Amino acid sequence: MEPETADRALLERKVRRAFQVLVLQRGRNPGVKGWEMRRHLGREYRKIIGVLSEDVAPMGLEVFEVKGPDGTDDSSRFLLRFKEPPTISEAETSGIRIDDLAVLAASIAFVNSKSGRVSRREVEQFLREKFPKWRVDYSLDRYVKRGYLDQDDKGMLHIGWRTRAEVDEKTLMTLILSRAQEAAKK
Amino acid sequence: MEQTKLDDYLRVIELCRDVETSSANPFDVDIREKILLLKQRLPELKFLDELLVDSEAMLELAQIVKLQDQWLKQRASALYIDPLLIQLKLKLLHKETLSEAFVKSWHPIAQVDQLSSRGLEKAFVYWRELTPMSERFKNQFGTYGIIPGVVEYSDLVSLGVFTAEEFELGLSRLYDELLQKSNGEWLDYRQFIEGESYGTKVRRAYLLAFLISEGRALLKTEPLTGKIWTMALAERVKGTPKSVAISITGDS
Repeated sequence: MEPETADRALLERKVRRAFQVLVLQRGRNPGVKGWEMRRHLGREYRKIIGVLSEDVAPMGLEVFEVKGPDGTDDSSRFLLRFKEPPTISEAETSGIRIDDLAVLAASIAFVNSKSGRVSRREVEQFLREKFPKWRVDYSLDRYVKRGYLDQDDKGMLHIGWRTRAEVDEKTLMTLILSRAQEAAKK
Repeated sequence: MEQTKLDDYLRVIELCRDVETSSANPFDVDIREKILLLKQRLPELKFLDELLVDSEAMLELAQIVKLQDQWLKQRASALYIDPLLIQLKLKLLHKETLSEAFVKSWHPIAQVDQLSSRGLEKAFVYWRELTPMSERFKNQFGTYGIIPGVVEYSDLVSLGVFTAEEFELGLSRLYDELLQKSNGEWLDYRQFIEGESYGTKVRRAYLLAFLISEGRALLKTEPLTGKIWTMALAERVKGTPKSVAISITGDS
């Protein structure tokens, strides 16, 4: 086999491996840590991920990196996610209620406005002005459990890892501000 | 330990904890001032307990520094918007608009959630190694896993509690006693089974249960008062028996 062909075959094998590693959930949370990627694909794993990201783009997917708390390559989490947001009807078919999404959107915006940490009690009080108590309690518990919000032992809420992975927070904040302006004009 | 000496420490700890458990600005704590205060007080501390309070105060101050770092990063990012402004905007928006804003900024994770052959193997090994429920806590709590059941007459005979003759004799003696005492009237069940000892009482209750099952005596319960009545019948009756659970304790 020609050296070039062999290199190409090796690259293809590694890209396939990267896809399999990313798409199959191994632990409790989705995604693969940087050190795991290195173990599976070798030191040049970022190049492989780059190739994979281009390969999955026609299918509307991308490989996304969520930086870890210490900012190192090893602590980063890599995920396969939708390149473009779904439509409202697509989101509804995934079994999530519009009310639940509204609670999550309001919670993320509220936590961000409070410099990224706010007591759960404060969030609950705020949300209860708009949503029934049972829905607020249920939704917050659910979103903490699913990783969209993070609750520490002092009862403070933070933005969770899943929000960092799935939500473009800047777009969300901009949309909330612009839509509110439109609503006010009406 | 002199309380006044530690007052400053306790105040620092309290202040830090208040900031940590609220969304207050962590820069409200003047770290430099507090550290100077702790430094000034340090030579007065002699005992281990006092030194531990000092280290606790330092730990709390370190937490505040961490919060200050996060606060600065958040403020520097484009995500920071005045809380009052965002609260006002959120109140103005309908649920539908809020969820639409979320969906438009949402990139769901794509993954396959399925059982792998490795997972299946692990599950199999776990199931194979799993000790049965009856054995699981034997070492800690002893054998308690036997569920309550029914002691049959044959079991009692085999255990030597009764002989067949004794049982029949006991049964007819009790029947005669009940017939005589009730004399066609309802008799208090608990008074009737009362004996010299707890063992006698259980034995009488057991025999009476047989008489009732055989249709030679009746039992009536009053759910509101909790009273139980019994009566002997001169002639055996036939019908569908109903089961009644009666607890017998040592003092009733």
